[in-house]
Amino acid sequence: MSRWQYFMRRVLMSIPVVIFGTTITFALIRLGPLDPVSAILGTQYNPEAAEQIRTNLGLNQPLWSQYFDFMYRLFTFNLGQSWVIAPGTTAYELIQVYAPRTIWLGFWSVLIALFVGIPLGFYAGLNPNTPSDYFASFGGIVWRAMPNFWLAIMLVTALSQTGQWTNGFFTWQSWIVKTNVVTPPTLGFFVSPLESFMQNPGEWLNELVRATKQIAPAALVLGSASMGNEMRIGRTAVLETINSNYVETARAKGVSGRTLVWKHIFRNALIPLVPIITGEAFLLLGGSVFVETVFAINGLGWLFFNAAINGDLPLIGTLMYIFILILVGTNILQDFLYTIIDPRVGYEG
Amino acid sequence: MSTKTETELPLRQRIAENPQPALVWAAVGAVLIGVELGAVLQVFGALAGVIVNLLPGDPGAATVASLQESLKSIPTLVSRDVIPNQGYWDGSQYVGTFLGLSPAAAWAVRFVLVYAYAFAVLAWLWDGYNRFRRHYRRVDWTPRDDVIDRFRGHSWGEFGLIITIMFVVMAVFAPAVGPTTMEKNILQPYDYEISYFDEETESVETALVGEANIGSGSQGAGDENVGPMSYDDFGRFHPFGTATNGKDLFTQVVFGARISLTIATLSIGIAGLIGLALAMITAYYKGLADMVVVLASDSIQSLPLIMVLILMLVIFQNTWVRELYDGAVLIILIFSLVYWPFIWRAIRGPAFQVSEQDWIDAAKSFGQTPGQVMRKHMAPYVFSYMLIYASLSLGGIIISVAGLSYLNLGITAPTPEWGRLIADGQQYVASPSWHISFIPGVLITLVVTGLNAFGDGIRDAIDPQADTGENETAAAGGGGA
Repeated sequence: MSRWQYFMRRVLMSIPVVIFGTTITFALIRLGPLDPVSAILGTQYNPEAAEQIRTNLGLNQPLWSQYFDFMYRLFTFNLGQSWVIAPGTTAYELIQVYAPRTIWLGFWSVLIALFVGIPLGFYAGLNPNTPSDYFASFGGIVWRAMPNFWLAIMLVTALSQTGQWTNGFFTWQSWIVKTNVVTPPTLGFFVSPLESFMQNPGEWLNELVRATKQIAPAALVLGSASMGNEMRIGRTAVLETINSNYVETARAKGVSGRTLVWKHIFRNALIPLVPIITGEAFLLLGGSVFVETVFAINGLGWLFFNAAINGDLPLIGTLMYIFILILVGTNILQDFLYTIIDPRVGYEG
Repeated sequence: MSTKTETELPLRQRIAENPQPALVWAAVGAVLIGVELGAVLQVFGALAGVIVNLLPGDPGAATVASLQESLKSIPTLVSRDVIPNQGYWDGSQYVGTFLGLSPAAAWAVRFVLVYAYAFAVLAWLWDGYNRFRRHYRRVDWTPRDDVIDRFRGHSWGEFGLIITIMFVVMAVFAPAVGPTTMEKNILQPYDYEISYFDEETESVETALVGEANIGSGSQGAGDENVGPMSYDDFGRFHPFGTATNGKDLFTQVVFGARISLTIATLSIGIAGLIGLALAMITAYYKGLADMVVVLASDSIQSLPLIMVLILMLVIFQNTWVRELYDGAVLIILIFSLVYWPFIWRAIRGPAFQVSEQDWIDAAKSFGQTPGQVMRKHMAPYVFSYMLIYASLSLGGIIISVAGLSYLNLGITAPTPEWGRLIADGQQYVASPSWHISFIPGVLITLVVTGLNAFGDGIRDAIDPQADTGENETAAAGGGGA
C-alpha cells in the first residue's frame, strides 16, 4: 500500500469515528437520567413552558427521529442555540465570541511547550547522564506530575505577590504593560488586524504585547504537561538516534559535529515527537477547563464547563461535536505529518 | 505458575523435608500478624457487615454488629488505643497521652510505628519469597528472577516504589495515622467532647469538638490560622494545620489518599479487565470483531476525556449511583468506560503477535475451547504489557479525580478529597493559611511522580526493549487536569 493510500484510508476511517463519537454524545444527553427540559427550566418549572421547550427541541418526536435530526443538524453545521447560559444566542455566535481566547491560549501553550520542551529534551539527550541532564529530566518529570489547576493557583498567587516579595523591585502587574494576573486576554486588536496596524502600529504592537502577557501564565501552566512529555520523548529520541548505525557511519565518514547534530540527529529525532505534539490537542482541550476557570478566561473550556453545570444540554451537544471534530482533525493532521516526514509509514501494512 | 509433573514433589512435601526456613518465616509472620490481629479481624467484620447489608432482610445483622464491637476491643499494636495522642495539659503534665508525652510526640511515635510496621510486613513478604526461591523452588531460575533483578538495578523505579508504598500505607492505615478520627473530627464533631487547658481560667475545661473546630479554623489573618506542625487553642496537635472550617487537615489528607487510591486502582482494574478481554477476543477472532472494537475505541478516544467526565457527572448528578460512596462508585464506572480503549490499544499488538504463535494452533487442534486458549495460552503473555500500561495510568487518574473534585463535580463532602481541599484553600494561598491548598498539591505531585517512576521501573523491568511511546505519555497525563 502506498503512503498516500494509507493516509486516505485513515481519513476515511475518521468519518465513522466522528459519527460514532457524536452518537455517544447523543446517547448521553438524551438517554441519560437528566431531563433536558427540567434542566433548562430549573426551579421555574411549569408545565406550559416545559411543553413549549419540548416542542422547540423536538423532544416529542420518537427517539430515532430525534437522533437523525440531531445528527443531520450537526453535520450540516446547523448548531442550534443556548438555552440556559445565554438563552436565544446561537451556538455559532457563542463560539465566535469564546473560541478566540481559547485559540490564543492554545497557540501560546503549544509554542511554549515546543520551544522550551524540545530544546531541553534534545540538550539532555545530547549530554546524557550529566548533572544538567538529570536536572532537566527530573524537572520535566515533576513538572508533568503537577496538576494543572493547582499549578495555576500557585502561579496566580506568586505573580500577584511579586511586588511584595521583591520589595517593589519587580511587579508582574506593571511589568512592560499594566495587566491583571487573573484576566481574559483583550483580543480586540485582532479584528481587522491589517487596518489597525496601518493606522497606529505602535498602539497595535502594544496591544499585542498586552494580550501576550495576559495569556502567558495560563499558557505556561497549560503547556506544562506537554512540555514535560516533549522533553522526555525528545531526550529518548535523541539518545536512540545518536546510537543508531547511520549516525555512526556519518561520523566515520567525517561529517562535522554540527552537521551531524542538525542534519542526521535532529531531523530523525523529531519523528517520535509528532504524536506528542498533535496529542497536545487532548491536553489543551481538557486542561482549558481548569486553566480558564482559575485564570478567569472565558474561553471554550469555561463555556463548556458552565454549560454543563447549568444543564444547557443542547449547547453541550454542539460543543462536544466541535471538540470531536477538532480532535479527529488533529489526528488526521498527525497522519499527514507522518506521511510527509517518515518514509517508513505504510510499508508494513 | 507451572504445571506439576509426576516425578516432582508437591510444595507441602518439599517443605516437610526441610522445614526450618519455612518455620522461621511462619513464626515471624505469626508475630507480625498477631500484633495486628484485631485490625485484620475488624476488616473481616466490616466485610461481613457489608455482605449482611446486601442480603435481603438483613439476617443476623445484630450478631454481626456485636461481633464487630467485640473485635474492636482486641488490642492492636498500631492503634489509637495503645498509643493515644488526644490528651490534654492539666497545668502540670499531659493527661491521657502515650507515656505522658506531648500530643505531637505521641502522634509522631504512632506515625513512625505504623510505617515501621508496614515496612516490616513488606520485608517479611520479600524474605518469604527469597526463602521460597532458595529452599523450595524446583528450578534455579525463572524469567521472573530476571525481571526482579532488573527492577532492583533500577534506582528510579525503586524511588517510585518507595513513594508508592508510603502512599498505600497512608491509605490503608488511614484511621491509625491521623491525629484524630474521621468520626470525631469530621463526620460527627458535635457528638464528641474534648478536654483542654484554658489559659485564662487556668483549669481544664471541656468543649464539643465541633465548637473547638469553629475556634480553630484557618482563614488567613494571624489569629485565624493554625499552621502545619502547631497546636490550636484547644491543645490539639495538627501536623498539616487545619482546614478553613477548623477540621484537621492531616486526617482529611490521609482519608483523601484512601479514596484516590481506591478510585485509581479499581478503575484501572476494571478497565484493564475489559481491555484484556476484548484484546483476547479481537486477537483470536480478528476480522469483523477487530473492526468493531477498533471503531468503538477510536470513537471513545476521539472524545475529549475531561469533557466527557464532566458531562457524565452532570448527567448523573441526582441519581442513586451518584450517592454511593460520595460519588466514588460512579467515578470508577465512568473511568473504566473511558479508559479501556487506551489499555486495549496498548496490548492489541502483543495480543495479535501471540495469536500467531504455533502453540495457539497446537492448543486449538488439541480441541481446547476458544475460552481456554485465550485464558491459558494468550492472556498470560499480554498480561505484563497490561500491567505496564496500567501502572503508568494510575497517576493520571489521581490527577483527573482531583481536578474534577476541584471543580466540585467529583467526590462530594463529607468524604475528603485532595482536589476539594485545594479548592477550599484557594483564596487563602497568599495568606498565612497557605497550607490548605499547598500541601495537598505537593502531595499529588509527589505521589504522581512516584507512581510514574514506579511505572517506568516496571516497564523497564518487564520489557527492557520497550520504547517510550505516545500511548504511555498520554496515559500519565490525566487528560490535562
